[in-house]
Amino acid sequence: MRTSTRTFTRLIAGVAGLAALAVGLSGCSDSGSADGAGDTTTVTFRIWSDDAVAAAYEKSFDAFTKANPDITVKVNQVPWANYWDKLRTDLSAGGGDDIFWTNAYNFAPYADNSKLVNVSSKLSNEVDAWEPSAVKQYTRKGTLWGVPQLIDGGKVLYYNKELVEKAGVDLTDLAWNPEHTADDTFLPALKKLTVDAAGRTADEPGFDGSNLTQYGFNASNDFDAIIGNFVGSNGGLYQSGGKYTFASNAKAEQAIEYVVNLVDKYHVAPSAADTNGNGDFTRDQFLQGKLAVFESGSYNLATIHSSAKFDWGIAPIPAGPAGRIPVTNSIIAAGNAGSKHADATLKVLRWIGSEKGSLALGASGSLIPAVTAAQGPYFDYWTKQGVDAKPFVDGVADGTLKNDVIPNAAATADDLTTALDEIFAGRSNGSVAAALKAAQTAANAGLSE
Amino acid sequence: MGARADRREAITGYAFVLPSFVGFVAFLAVPIAVVVWLSFQHWDLITPARFVGLRNWLSVFADDRFVRSLGITALFVAIAVPLQTAFGLLVGVLLSRRVRGGGLFRVAFLIPWISAPLTLGIVWKWIFAPTDGLLNAVIGQRVEWLASPQLVLGSIIFVAVWSNVGYVSLFFAAGLGAIPEQVIEAARIDGAGGWQTFWRIQLPLLRPTTFFVLVTSLISAFQIFDTVYALAPNGGPRGAADVVSGRIYHEAFQSFDFGRASVMAIVLMLILVVATVASRLYFSKRTEYELS
Amino acid sequence: MRRSSRLVDTVTYTVLIVGLLITLVPFVQSLLTALKTPEQFATSPATALPNPVTLQNFGDLLARYGFLRAVLVTLAVVVTIVVVQVTCSVLAAYAFARLRFPGRDVLFWAYLGTLMVPAIVTTIPLYTLFAQAGLRDTFWGIIAPSLLGSPYAVFLLRQHFLAIPHDLLNAATLDGAGTLRTLWSIAVPVSRPIIATLVVITAVSHWNNFLWPLIITSGGDWQVLTVATASLQTQYNGNWTLVMAAAVISLTPLLALFLVFQRQIVSSLAIRGIN
Repeated sequence: MRTSTRTFTRLIAGVAGLAALAVGLSGCSDSGSADGAGDTTTVTFRIWSDDAVAAAYEKSFDAFTKANPDITVKVNQVPWANYWDKLRTDLSAGGGDDIFWTNAYNFAPYADNSKLVNVSSKLSNEVDAWEPSAVKQYTRKGTLWGVPQLIDGGKVLYYNKELVEKAGVDLTDLAWNPEHTADDTFLPALKKLTVDAAGRTADEPGFDGSNLTQYGFNASNDFDAIIGNFVGSNGGLYQSGGKYTFASNAKAEQAIEYVVNLVDKYHVAPSAADTNGNGDFTRDQFLQGKLAVFESGSYNLATIHSSAKFDWGIAPIPAGPAGRIPVTNSIIAAGNAGSKHADATLKVLRWIGSEKGSLALGASGSLIPAVTAAQGPYFDYWTKQGVDAKPFVDGVADGTLKNDVIPNAAATADDLTTALDEIFAGRSNGSVAAALKAAQTAANAGLSE
Repeated sequence: MGARADRREAITGYAFVLPSFVGFVAFLAVPIAVVVWLSFQHWDLITPARFVGLRNWLSVFADDRFVRSLGITALFVAIAVPLQTAFGLLVGVLLSRRVRGGGLFRVAFLIPWISAPLTLGIVWKWIFAPTDGLLNAVIGQRVEWLASPQLVLGSIIFVAVWSNVGYVSLFFAAGLGAIPEQVIEAARIDGAGGWQTFWRIQLPLLRPTTFFVLVTSLISAFQIFDTVYALAPNGGPRGAADVVSGRIYHEAFQSFDFGRASVMAIVLMLILVVATVASRLYFSKRTEYELS
Repeated sequence: MRRSSRLVDTVTYTVLIVGLLITLVPFVQSLLTALKTPEQFATSPATALPNPVTLQNFGDLLARYGFLRAVLVTLAVVVTIVVVQVTCSVLAAYAFARLRFPGRDVLFWAYLGTLMVPAIVTTIPLYTLFAQAGLRDTFWGIIAPSLLGSPYAVFLLRQHFLAIPHDLLNAATLDGAGTLRTLWSIAVPVSRPIIATLVVITAVSHWNNFLWPLIITSGGDWQVLTVATASLQTQYNGNWTLVMAAAVISLTPLLALFLVFQRQIVSSLAIRGIN
């Protein structure tokens, strides 16, 4: 008993010593956010977690600090899953980083409440250098609220060359049509690419859609990768004037029903039980060689390039009755109107909106810069990797889905996703059209509270 | 003399309580008071708070989804807490016997409790995945554990019980170990068999342990969030896993309606107070002995 | 007699081993995932064995993702909180159990009451307070709310202090010891096992704490392990091999702590039935 008392006392002493050391260390390295020795100002720059992007920005900011020795920029990465919670919390207490990334779904409340730097007045000379679609997306009531940083471009069909050749399918110029099945070349192609456990393709009799070994397409409840593109290509309107219209707008409803049928009626895509709430599933099935055609954006290019063990190619998305009209998104870096370093912040904003500032971003191949002059390096990078990335920007030639911002979309976004999940899972009460209508009504009701 | 000693004791008492009291007031009481205040305001974090009287309270009580979530959470608690207590008791009984490798078993059973819930949730999601998931691969059937409204709550209960059995079993194993040998001997001499000894001697003597375990389990089960968030975000299929904490989180960080979120939090707290007081009454009536 | 004992032993071991397998399966899965390359994880089913086995995820975490600093920060946070919080809780619990002063029981139940409010809502007012005090993104900001005691700890300790036989403590008083001395030389040594358990429980819960450190810090300097792990997941990519490696790194110190303290813990958790 006595020995263990002594050991215990020693343990306590050791722990206490460690604690003191820890406190001491923390005191030493407590840099704090105050300006350091001399006159350097530190501007904080927040993005959601992405190592490649952070590294690219750091390169860009090194060049900036060389040209502006009295300003250093610190890049902060915040976990994507918590980015919006934290942004709102930080801004509510008058804090938050000096500049932060935001996307179209989330920026409106901050703009409307004067939390963001007015870019169209402060940086009016620079606006021309930026991608027009991005500028438009973030202009509210005539004011632009941030410096566009990246664009998605359009969407493409990544495809597995071996599977496609084996099925004898040509993906270069497909068309889909919800009304005139005779004009639909997309669905028959997908049917040839879907194989069940008995080796039958979806266009053969006796095909068992519940037991697939190879999926034709990644149709699922994914607005950015799938639904938005079909709605746009059908000439439909998903949301307009601050409200959802995907059910009341006939063409939008028709397009969504087409996608749902791909999953539940024709079984050319994985079941919703696999894809609902699991964004990785279809991509991983594609990478495992079990999914023939994967519709997605430039954000998956790097992963596919590094992980796919088979020959793959890029084809344009199928043309709908209104053309090839994808949904496209961009991201801005917004200035914090409550920043304590307004001048330095403005300088940094000007820098990242310039060609010189965005060069490092494009050259990293991790994003397509919104500064049009800096886009070349992005394509050069990928050409060096043996990939032609032009289809991403070519894909918006016919136009893009008109996607008016809904200011408080976050309030009902999750519920809407769940309602759509249910529809994709085949659990709608009544017809798909009726279920969509119910979902739209519920989503719009939640917006106006 | 007595009065002075009493006063000195009181001062010592206050002095001892002082550090934690400061923390209690500053970091617990004040925020909770703010939460109560917020329940009468409309606040979205970026516009100034606006007084709205009882509107939040009325709207929350009229909110079907919130009321339903109370039911779902109660169902969850009613199944998970007894299950984890029973299994914990079973494992505790087994471990209190001289088992070879007992130490290793104990550590192993505790690993679920010491792991971060968010990463555990991810792994369980893979295990429950319909295609290529570990569980379906083992049983050879395709079952939609998390996508089916009927099965999702059961799957979550399984994970919750799994996470807590080890922790509960420790308390019971120790509690059993604390019962003096003589008491067991006496029972055996009186002719009681193993089961009788357990049921009528050991179990009653375990009541203080059971009380602590039940109360702390109740409090934490009613607040379950991380596991549900990982396995069935936003309430799961048909809202079958819509628990109260999920509603509070949604209200606070998606709708950004802090007034309503505050009301929901207060309702949850009141439920817990009632549950704790009820447990205390149940147990205090029956804990009337002393082992000296 | 002997046969039924053997039967009981067999049943015991069977139940324990089955329980063990069910308990460990998810961790084996985590470990296997941590040993896979990201390419392998994407291109083969999650249940496949790592081939080739690689330690690159661990290396990347420590070298490129600043995990070494995250471990040190988390360690500093946990050690500081444990030492100070347990001390404050011991003092308060002893007072609630053994000293008489007006308002004692009301105060104790108020403490307990705070356990029942979900942390999500109290976080926002707390954050606003801290932001105004300029404690955003600092070490003290992370530890301050938990530093001065915990209602759970006070609850647990009070039950135990209540169970210490009166005679033991009275003997000390008769010898002329003041309250503090009685506490330090009698009550604490007797309660050593439960204090050890409390140390472990406190360490575990703060090591895995996510919400408060996430809200109060921003960026790389003061990231704790949980936040650093969440940061590994990008918008379109879960980076699961890295996340699992991070989970393994986070688990290991706690496991070590347990192996060291486990005998103390088990002998300590006996809660006696008095009052």
